[in-house]
Amino acid sequence: MSEIIKISELNKIYDTGAIQVHALKNINISIEEGEYVAIMGQSGSGKSTLMNILGCLDKPTSGIYELDGIDIASQTERQLSYIRNKKIGFVFQSFNLIPRTSALKNVELPMVYAKIGGNERRQRAKELLEKVGLGDRLEHMPNEISGGQKQRIAIARALANKPAIILADEPTGNLDSASSVEIMNLFTELNNEGVTVIVVTHEDEVAEFTKRVIKFKDGQIIEDRKVVR
Amino acid sequence: MLLFENLKLALSAIRINKMRSFLTMLGMIIGISSVIAIVSLGDTMRSLIASEYENVGTNFAYSYITSPDDDYVGSESYSYDDIENIKEVFGDQITYIGTGISASAKIKNNRTMLDASLEGLAENPTVYKNLKMVYGRMFSNQDIIKERQYIIIEDKTAKKLFGNENAVGKTLRTQVGEEMMELTVTGVYENTDSALMKLMNGGKNQRATTYVPETIISSRDGNSWSIYLYPKDGIDTKDFKNRFVNYISRIKNVDVENVQYGTAQDELSTVDGMMGTLSLILGAIAAISLLVGGIGIMNIMLVSVTERTREIGIRKALGARTEDILLQFLVESAIISAAGGLIGTALGTGVVAIGGAVVGIAVVVKLKIILIAVGFSAIVGIFFGLYPASKAAKADPITALRYE
Repeated sequence: MSEIIKISELNKIYDTGAIQVHALKNINISIEEGEYVAIMGQSGSGKSTLMNILGCLDKPTSGIYELDGIDIASQTERQLSYIRNKKIGFVFQSFNLIPRTSALKNVELPMVYAKIGGNERRQRAKELLEKVGLGDRLEHMPNEISGGQKQRIAIARALANKPAIILADEPTGNLDSASSVEIMNLFTELNNEGVTVIVVTHEDEVAEFTKRVIKFKDGQIIEDRKVVR
Repeated sequence: MLLFENLKLALSAIRINKMRSFLTMLGMIIGISSVIAIVSLGDTMRSLIASEYENVGTNFAYSYITSPDDDYVGSESYSYDDIENIKEVFGDQITYIGTGISASAKIKNNRTMLDASLEGLAENPTVYKNLKMVYGRMFSNQDIIKERQYIIIEDKTAKKLFGNENAVGKTLRTQVGEEMMELTVTGVYENTDSALMKLMNGGKNQRATTYVPETIISSRDGNSWSIYLYPKDGIDTKDFKNRFVNYISRIKNVDVENVQYGTAQDELSTVDGMMGTLSLILGAIAAISLLVGGIGIMNIMLVSVTERTREIGIRKALGARTEDILLQFLVESAIISAAGGLIGTALGTGVVAIGGAVVGIAVVVKLKIILIAVGFSAIVGIFFGLYPASKAAKADPITALRYE
């Protein structure tokens, strides 16, 4: 298995002028293709900062972050857009679907920015929605469906451009326990198909589903263990 | 491809906020329609005035003499001898010279009596009044020289006086001042007054306009305050004016400045210039409302960008580039603006066309004006959309995603 994420000596310092916040301190992580990882920690532990950096939404202050062999620090804003589009599939706590836009259109969106033609786009979006069990909800608007279904759409959308990693930020944070289990099972299923899944969470129940847990505290990794089942 | 996607996106955004989009467009609609209406009105007036002068003939010129130390215009005047002298000197350069005299009169046939105005015609009358004869004939030069007691009346007048009988050859008792004349109808003409004349006379109970040889309503030893003349085609009008004014100044023994000479062409260009300036100024004032409309668009786009901050964050996370977001919002504001422009154009031309139909004149709506108006509205949309769109495009995705 090849290394899909390589983080070494990574630091992130927020400089607000008056105070400096050292959010990440000398982080070293290596994630292989096909892994199923939970990044855990309390709020303020630095896990969200890491999430933003992993998602190429933010850049580290120092250190190296390589995603699928690409050195992210050297990329331009435009190239980062391309990487977010092609290499990363985001799943958010608050779903972040585009309002008043159908499930199908939401799933098509990353493919629009990837300049994939209309027919191919619709076809793939349909397949993905069927895959997450929403084949009968194609034209539904986000406000017409349940939270669990919204998160399924978000997952279908994350898969649209066959990304290198799925990056899920507290994906069950706004869901009831039954829906949470469904969503985590879906991630497990995807991982079994070979998709690399990284879940950021503070819930042990969520981490239970994954195969590796990395715990953060005060910007540092305090634990990195394989889950043995 | 993205442009097409953005078009669809913008249309759906506009559809979602129908009322708001319409109100935003309203500024452009009012602005564009008033610009088009005002400029078209001006253009219509100009074309009407031009066609009016076309009827008179652009060669038409008039002259009168002012007194040097007296405000009373007309204390000096042209005599028939003067006119004969002018004919001798300039005869080969003019096609018509007359006094332009007219008199009010009562014309009577048995029981029917009408107020009429008698317009005097000189030799070669068709140069001055090319009447559309429906019955009978125009005066010959001999009719005028021999002071024949003839009259030409309008078809409507003929109908009032003679009903369906043929008027030609009938005699009308005509009273001018204290003098009674027996005038024989030689012809009946159809009024071909221009749209402008109709508009200006509209509704008024007009006196019947009739034509007579000018020799019968002015005595040979009398004077005329003014003369009407038509220099021939191809005569240098400036040169002719100089020679004419110098000649008159010499024979009338007055200063050159006191010999007034004007041409239809001069008047036309003066009036046309004034109308042009006027419609330009009014158009510019109306264009201010376009500015207001543009600010309205900017305002609503700023609201829209703020409302959709989170959406912008999502799009950026999903791979939208800065220019994709910029384009998305620019297209939206351009569409709002251009749609407003199109509706405004339809409204403006519609109002002008209906107005023209009501008063019965052919309106002039220049394609150029429409293109300028719509193009301008799209530019306004892009210009005023630029700031909100760039604000959206520059949004930091992390902050935007957290926006509530």
